[in-house]
Amino acid sequence: MHRTTQLTLAAALLASFAFAPTAFAGEPNGQDLYKTYCKSCHAAGSAHGEYTPMTLIQDQWERFYKEKYAAKHATAQMPDGRKVLEAITPEMLAKIRKFSVDHAADSEQPMTCGK
Amino acid sequence: MTMRKLTGLALAGALASLPLAAAEPFSHKDAFEHYEGTRTCLACHEDEARAFHGSQHYQWKGSAPQLVGAGSKPLGKINTINDFCTGPAANWIGLVKNSRGDVVSKGCSKCHAGLGELPQAEPSQAQLENIDCLICHAKGYQRDLFEKPGGGFEWKPILWKNQEGLDSVSKRVGPPQRAMCLRCHSASGGGPNFKRGDIEYKLADTDRSYDVHMGKDGADFQCTSCHAGDKHRVRGRGADLAGTDSPANPLSCSTTECHGSAPHGEPMIDRHTARVACTTCHIKTFARDEATDMVRDWSKPKYDAEADRYAATITMQKDVIPVYAWWNGKTHAQLPGEAVKTQANGTVGMMVPDGSRQDPEARIFAFKLHKGRLPVLTDKKWIVPILVEHFFADGDIFSATRKAAEETYGIADAKFEWTDTERYMGIFHGVQPREQALQCLDCHGAKGRLDWKALGYGADPLLIRVTAKK
Ligand code: HEC
Ligand code: HEC
Ligand code: HEC
Ligand code: HEC
Ligand code: HEC
Ligand code: HEC
Ligand code: HEC
Repeated sequence: MHRTTQLTLAAALLASFAFAPTAFAGEPNGQDLYKTYCKSCHAAGSAHGEYTPMTLIQDQWERFYKEKYAAKHATAQMPDGRKVLEAITPEMLAKIRKFSVDHAADSEQPMTCGK
Repeated sequence: MTMRKLTGLALAGALASLPLAAAEPFSHKDAFEHYEGTRTCLACHEDEARAFHGSQHYQWKGSAPQLVGAGSKPLGKINTINDFCTGPAANWIGLVKNSRGDVVSKGCSKCHAGLGELPQAEPSQAQLENIDCLICHAKGYQRDLFEKPGGGFEWKPILWKNQEGLDSVSKRVGPPQRAMCLRCHSASGGGPNFKRGDIEYKLADTDRSYDVHMGKDGADFQCTSCHAGDKHRVRGRGADLAGTDSPANPLSCSTTECHGSAPHGEPMIDRHTARVACTTCHIKTFARDEATDMVRDWSKPKYDAEADRYAATITMQKDVIPVYAWWNGKTHAQLPGEAVKTQANGTVGMMVPDGSRQDPEARIFAFKLHKGRLPVLTDKKWIVPILVEHFFADGDIFSATRKAAEETYGIADAKFEWTDTERYMGIFHGVQPREQALQCLDCHGAKGRLDWKALGYGADPLLIRVTAKK
């Protein structure tokens, strides 16, 4: 029992470290944030669907942020237990949004968020 | 008002409204529901597809009357060798991965306007469906290489799993815009601006100070403003391509269709146009935005640690001053399966412009002089293309050359040696505003850029003229 608690704690610590924006040297950009937050649930083979910026076209991304993001993620939780809607602040979301639209499938430079 | 006048007015009105009606772009919004590949377009555009199928862009070969002594065999990328990526037939399609599992090459079909099948002469249904219309016609279209379920590879829209997105993009079809032509033409040779030097990605969105024709605040020309021909045959071959779509319909700045031969109204300049091409004075340097590949030495494999891949040793250069040579529109080509011909300077001329001062059809043009080092068979002296795909991953140039000799010529355990090559590539894009044109002393000054002797003049003709007068 004792051992399990310790392990869980360690895992939580590790997870929170991995998801803390302080893990980046300097201000994280849209790509860093996308990779840290969104990719954790939307990598290839994910049960929630694979989403990289170039999965959708620009119109679809705009519609997603306007109409779907909040509803689809209302109950979703990060691996560290925080609610997605709280862990990702409005400032971070603005950067992620710009990154996904700028590199959408029909943009000049479609991109995944990298490995 | 008389009846006649009225009719006249009505006619004038009808005429005036014609160009307007014609300029109204056709929207494909309701032309189809779902995009299901080229088949969708063929329902209404089979004629265009058949025409495109026969073009240089699709066949990668065509009649080559401008190649000196090449005979009547259709020629093009598919059956010639170049000093950049060598030969496409053996490197057509496939994923080559490095030790980290990253893709380092996808094959030459990356620059073919097809979905992965090799071009065939017969326009079968499968061949027509293999044409990638969207790569030239749809804004926001992008494709990538995927493994086919039954084995092999194909190019597919990156949106293939997102039907709504794919429908949206495929309904944006219209006349080709610069960015679409640049998808292939600025990325050829392995990287941005590597190959041509003067067809840079910057042309997608640029200003007049970079290019008076394509700058948004200039003429805002599309590539097609100069290059469109009838029935999917483009105009313009330049100096170093083999076959051409437009043998009878060449493209030039100095025909009456564009500027004519005396556009300056200044006799001192106009007297030059009979012997000096427009581009020679109006494009001072090339690769002004991104560096271009000037030397590619295949004999020295080089490992790029960042990309974890091997490449030839490539020398890049930016803002390059062209070399100048006579050109009458024809070219001497070094073809595969023919013993190499050595030029006076000891190198093999892969593509060398024909013409001299004595040739009244020739003028002095600006060129990118690309140097290379390629393998030739020791006994037959034939140039060998390299199987680049495997070489990129393992860097073994010896076996890449041996294998190529076997695949191309059927010669096993070939013995080969290295030879230096030269290719002259015409510089035609990036015309700057007139203030930037070459000035008299750029050519006639003590440090002028023309090598008068090499061009067949005893000395600077202006100097000769001045001293003769004394
Ligand atoms: C904690 C996991 C989690 C995180 C983090 C997360 N998502 Fe989601 N996402 C989900 C779940 C769960 C769904 C709903 C899946 C479903 O409907 O089956 C979803 C759905 C989506 C959808 C599909 C919406 C639709 O049209 O159905 C998109 C797009 C999406 N997420 C993008 C993002 C982006 C962008 C981020 C980062 C800002 C992000 N997600 C972060 C779990 C997550
Ligand atoms: C239902 C019939 C139909 C289908 C399907 C269709 N088109 Fe068209 N297309 C037309 C018509 C009609 C025009 C306008 C007349 C013309 O220029 O020939 C046109 C015009 C064009 C033009 C010229 C545009 C211009 O403004 O100059 C292009 C390019 C084109 N189509 C490409 C495509 C491609 C690519 C597809 C497949 C994604 C496609 N079309 C599917 C009917 C169709
Ligand atoms: C390599 C680029 C390229 C590809 C691939 C291509 N086209 Fe075109 N297409 C052009 C050019 C260039 C024009 C001429 C545009 C102009 O006149 O401004 C053109 C013109 C057209 C037109 C207008 C009518 C005409 O013939 O001039 C139609 C329709 C069209 N293309 C349909 C198609 C269809 C359908 C496909 C696929 C089967 C296709 N194109 C593939 C480059 C391409
Ligand atoms: C102002 C007219 C003009 C415009 C605009 C233009 N070109 Fe050209 N291009 C030329 C001329 C002239 C040649 C040389 C033709 C010849 O001698 O056969 C040429 C040659 C070429 C060639 C043959 C290979 C070479 O470079 O020698 C290609 C490929 C080409 N152009 C692609 C493009 C692309 C892509 C665009 C748009 C980004 C474009 N051109 C825009 C005038 C133009
Ligand atoms: C899918 C890649 C691709 C696209 C897109 C593309 N090209 Fe090309 N183009 C090529 C290749 C490859 C060749 C050389 C073929 C050969 O020499 O056999 C070529 C050759 C040419 C030539 C020389 C033709 C000749 O007859 O010698 C011109 C001019 C040209 N392209 C203009 C354009 C223009 C204008 C566009 C946009 C409408 C365009 N290309 C779009 C790949 C492309
Ligand atoms: C010997 C060098 C030289 C050659 C060859 C040359 N030009 Fe020029 N061109 C110039 C110079 C220098 C100017 C600037 C003159 C001035 O500012 O009045 C100029 C100006 C121009 C202008 C701008 C004229 C204006 O009134 O704004 C055009 C257009 C032009 N040239 C087109 C051409 C064409 C087309 C050719 C080929 C038929 C050509 N040039 C050949 C040197 C040359
Ligand atoms: C691109 C290099 C270039 C530029 C720039 C240039 N010239 Fe020339 N010039 C030549 C060449 C080449 C010839 C020889 C033409 C011939 O063979 O008929 C020539 C010939 C001449 C001649 C004729 C000599 C004779 O024997 O008749 C005169 C005069 C002359 N140039 C003056 C000028 C003046 C003045 C300018 C500036 C307005 C100028 N050139 C700019 C290349 C140039």
